[in-house]
Amino acid sequence: MRKHDVVIVGAGLAGLRAALELAGKVDVAVVSKVYPSRSHSGAAQGGVAAAMANESDDSPELHMYDTVKGSDYLGDQDAIEIMTHDAPITITEMEHLGCVFSRDAEGRIAQREFGGHSKPRACYAADRTGHAMLHTLYEQSFKYKKDITFYNEWYLLDLIYQDGSARGIVAMDMKTGDIEVIHAKAVLFGTGGYGRAYKITSNAFANTGDGIMAAYRAGLPLEDMEFVQFHPTGLYQQGILMSEAARGEGGYLLNGNMERFMERYAKSRMELAPRDIVSRAEQSEINEGRGAGPNKDYIYIDLRHLGREKILEKLPQIRQLAIDFLGVDCIDNPIPIQPTAHYSMGGIPASKDCEVYSDEKGTIVKGFYAAGECSCISVHGANRLGTNSLLDATVFGRRAGKSILNYLVGAKHEPVNEAEEKRKARKRIDDLLYTPSTESANNIRNELKEAMTTNVGVYRDKERLAAAHKKLKELQQRFTKVRVEDKGKVFNTEIIEALELANMLAYSELIIAGAEARTESRGAHARVDYPTRDDVNWMKHTMVSAGADGAIQLKYKPVVVTKHQPEERKY
Amino acid sequence: MAKTKFLVSRYDAARDTKPYLQEFRLEIPQGATLLDCINLIKWTQDGTLTYRMSCRSAICGSCSMKVNGHARLACKTQAADVVIDGAVTIEPMGNLPLIRDLAVDLEPFFDSIDRVKPYLVPDESRQWKREMLQSHDDYRKIEDASTCIMCASCWSDCNVLEVDPRFLGPAALAKAQRFVHDSRDSDTIGRIEFLSRVTGMWDCTHCAECATRCPTDAKPLFRIKELRTAAMTHKITNNNGARHVLAFRESVGGTVPGIGGGMLNENYIPVRSVGFFNLDGILSIIPVGVRMIIRGKNPPILPHIIDKFGEVRAMFRRFNDYRKEYRK
Amino acid sequence: MKYALYTGCVAKGAGRELMSATVYAAERLGIQIREMKDASCCGAGAIQEDNPLLADALNARTFSLAEEQGLDIMTICGTCQGVMRTAQIKMEHNPAHKERVNAALKRDSGREYQGKVKVKHFYQIVEEDYGLENLVKRVTRKLTGLKVAPFYGCYVLRPHEYSDTKVPDRPDYLEKLIAAVGATPVDYAEKQKCCGFPILMPNKANALQLSGNAMIGALKAGADVIVTPCPLCHLNMDSYQPEIEEMLDRKINMPVLHYPQLIALALGANLDELKMNTHVVLPNEKLLEVVNR
Repeated sequence: MRKHDVVIVGAGLAGLRAALELAGKVDVAVVSKVYPSRSHSGAAQGGVAAAMANESDDSPELHMYDTVKGSDYLGDQDAIEIMTHDAPITITEMEHLGCVFSRDAEGRIAQREFGGHSKPRACYAADRTGHAMLHTLYEQSFKYKKDITFYNEWYLLDLIYQDGSARGIVAMDMKTGDIEVIHAKAVLFGTGGYGRAYKITSNAFANTGDGIMAAYRAGLPLEDMEFVQFHPTGLYQQGILMSEAARGEGGYLLNGNMERFMERYAKSRMELAPRDIVSRAEQSEINEGRGAGPNKDYIYIDLRHLGREKILEKLPQIRQLAIDFLGVDCIDNPIPIQPTAHYSMGGIPASKDCEVYSDEKGTIVKGFYAAGECSCISVHGANRLGTNSLLDATVFGRRAGKSILNYLVGAKHEPVNEAEEKRKARKRIDDLLYTPSTESANNIRNELKEAMTTNVGVYRDKERLAAAHKKLKELQQRFTKVRVEDKGKVFNTEIIEALELANMLAYSELIIAGAEARTESRGAHARVDYPTRDDVNWMKHTMVSAGADGAIQLKYKPVVVTKHQPEERKY
Repeated sequence: MAKTKFLVSRYDAARDTKPYLQEFRLEIPQGATLLDCINLIKWTQDGTLTYRMSCRSAICGSCSMKVNGHARLACKTQAADVVIDGAVTIEPMGNLPLIRDLAVDLEPFFDSIDRVKPYLVPDESRQWKREMLQSHDDYRKIEDASTCIMCASCWSDCNVLEVDPRFLGPAALAKAQRFVHDSRDSDTIGRIEFLSRVTGMWDCTHCAECATRCPTDAKPLFRIKELRTAAMTHKITNNNGARHVLAFRESVGGTVPGIGGGMLNENYIPVRSVGFFNLDGILSIIPVGVRMIIRGKNPPILPHIIDKFGEVRAMFRRFNDYRKEYRK
Repeated sequence: MKYALYTGCVAKGAGRELMSATVYAAERLGIQIREMKDASCCGAGAIQEDNPLLADALNARTFSLAEEQGLDIMTICGTCQGVMRTAQIKMEHNPAHKERVNAALKRDSGREYQGKVKVKHFYQIVEEDYGLENLVKRVTRKLTGLKVAPFYGCYVLRPHEYSDTKVPDRPDYLEKLIAAVGATPVDYAEKQKCCGFPILMPNKANALQLSGNAMIGALKAGADVIVTPCPLCHLNMDSYQPEIEEMLDRKINMPVLHYPQLIALALGANLDELKMNTHVVLPNEKLLEVVNR
């Protein structure tokens, strides 16, 4: 059994930032199913929000207001206030750590416009901001290599949670196939989002909600799972992200008639309205027969008027992606796009100090922390503003580190039954490997993704959600007979993919359950049959957990409102 | 559409003594990337096929593999573009120990990054209240290197690493350039001195495989050249590589009297490179000299002076002006 | 057909036999060449690292000399070709850079590079301008039975963005030439790799190992000789072959021919005319047999 003071699962921005806070002070380990530089934080493109006020007047208070409004008032305002006030120092620190940011004429960090932000607030590194930040933290991890133990390519199997405290994790070393317990006084999850269950998604293959499902299986609740953000500009059919920075820099959205249709949906902010609004506008255009292309099923983003020089300097990556994947050079032609599943607002409920809650009353789990996309703190509420995710991960990664340091004073390693933990994990894998198998994982996965995109997408209603739920039940049943050919131990990616699929099948049902219950439209959750926001009945967070019999239980938790009372969202 | 032959390298240490190519047949779907195809093979034909992948948008660097002999990102490659006579050959990256099928052990690669102190060493007396300022021009000097995604494609195809695993390798040198040229870094000289040692920047042989295989703007060869320019500019020249460059300057530019004029003095280059007072070095170049004299292959004793050498001399007399103008 | 011959340094120094073969081959093919006696060294990548702008200006000067004569440039060294094309392409792609180079050039030598001249290696001229089929017609000595290993050299292949080779990962012009002169091309893994010459001074062991691997590869594929368009590859593999043999503890005895030598032999040149006795590795039995047949 391996033993550390702290084990962090996930080596993206949240995990690495927390590790840096702890390095040299306590014995910290980082477990990741991919090498840290492969983490999906690196795929974030457009920017990171902070009221640096480099390009115009700005303030954390204004940033807070924009975020609360963007969240459709579901965000917890105490946490949002902390995030927006911590933002400038957190970004300044990142810069001092060496992050390569684009610069303005005075040599300060350059900032650009972004959807839903009323000021140019997005600090950026061309259109590779997440990559620049992730690699900066990864660089720092070499500096502290003696103080941080990395378990790269170890796959999280279980959270060890017992009698109100987290005590470590069970994980598989992919290189050897060995299952190991990592015993710790404190556990931090920075395991990312769950957008992989959708057919059209910007998410990496790795974003399968392993962390949130480990927490759920351990008996902990998840919060606001029904809120999945659809990014307005995913590459047509691929779902690959075309940064919102393309619109921040002045790009237009055009329908099949080459009209800037956003005029009808958000007259003042146009293309820079928040993502939920823009994605719905696009979907409406497509649904009403005004899409582009032979099947009228996509929208254009048009950058031609920005000119070659600006595109090459500020949007080089998305230009290359459109060339590589669609053969379209945005200097000469508009790019076909469509809404793509992008960000998980829901996740593991946690306090503003990243302490995980075990119920809707706010009971804190001892020694368990969550930060970044896997967490629901909730700073994004029903809809996240672009550039607030890199900020969330960095600010709360940093806070989690500080919070854990405080907790460790007087904390000890609670006992763990290593043999039993390993046996349970082993059994889950052996069941997959050795039960009579007839079902193709590929078919199950494809059918799941199709069902989620078709029926639990930008627009939802009772019938479609019910159809999806029924399909889920069928797929879960078929999965019990899934076929895994690879019985080998060394780097068995087939077994990992099967475990990931199990997670996707389980959490997809939680998304649907939350969505079925929530009979209103708020942020990214848009019900055609309940088209308006209902603050009287639904100004509350969904808390979903497994009942004693394994059945899904829904409970609710109030939203923290401090400074801003709900009002109608107009852009 | 006809099915394409995918010849995929397979290896499982529990079963195989060495890797072999297995043939799969697949119809390439319209617009499919190579990664899409490999996934289809794994998901519909052989679940045991092993490789890495994650983001499928060319930013995480997981899926580099040798395609028809050269490293590239499977996710960034249109499959139809790499079919040769109806077939695609897919093998693991080079210069790294094999784990299984297309998955290699990346530790030597990441260890190389570790060796160049891959993090900013800022001035300790700086003010913490705001960001450090950096001009747009200074940002541009480090932008290209900063786009590296650590996919190890450069490492895979590097010719020097094939003969010398101690070589720092292209990615680490590109990473080093990013700090040598970072206006915020305070260890420029220390870094250049370290990188000037054997196994460092001067050990690159310009095969340009790295710059060719790199899927981003990092293009290590060009970063290595910038490192060498930095070494020459900072006059950190106490090594064979840098002296070799000085020998070019002196004989082509005629900046040392009697050494040359417009052309290389091939008799001067080796002696100057090993150092005039380096007895071992001089001894080491004697055998080839003797062999060449025996065959009459040795260059003429008197240096060749080109016609109109005055024009070239005039350019070399403004050596520092050229450097300044280039930096502008 | 007339070209300004850019010899490069090696053909005037440690590889003068390259010059002999070039003159012989060009004359027999009816390609007129006029040696650029006023051109400087291309910088070979080294001056580029010392002083990038000066190096580009040196090459711009060479280009302007050819433009003055109204001739395109023929190179006979793979490294010169790669370095000079790189300078040209850089200026083509970046007009501001070209302007900067020209400003300096004008100031110091009164010249200006217009951007008109073409820079081609001998092999490109044979393939694209002259035509291999026309070369075949003039072959008087078919090199039948000679197994020739092509060795391309890096600079004409990579980086791809600076290469004129059509499919630089699968070049075939050497194979085509070898077949055209009646010899047999042999295939081996190292033919597109680096010979190691550029690091001979900083890391001799690696430099020699690279050449050694290439020659062993050619040997195992059954090659009698190697042919290369780059005299630097020739120098490393030929002049250092005894040391490489010692290092690898095995006999290689592999003559390394310059590109024009192979043509000249097929056009009837004898070994003395080509000064092949100035190679460190003299023609081996097989080569002698084929030539004296």
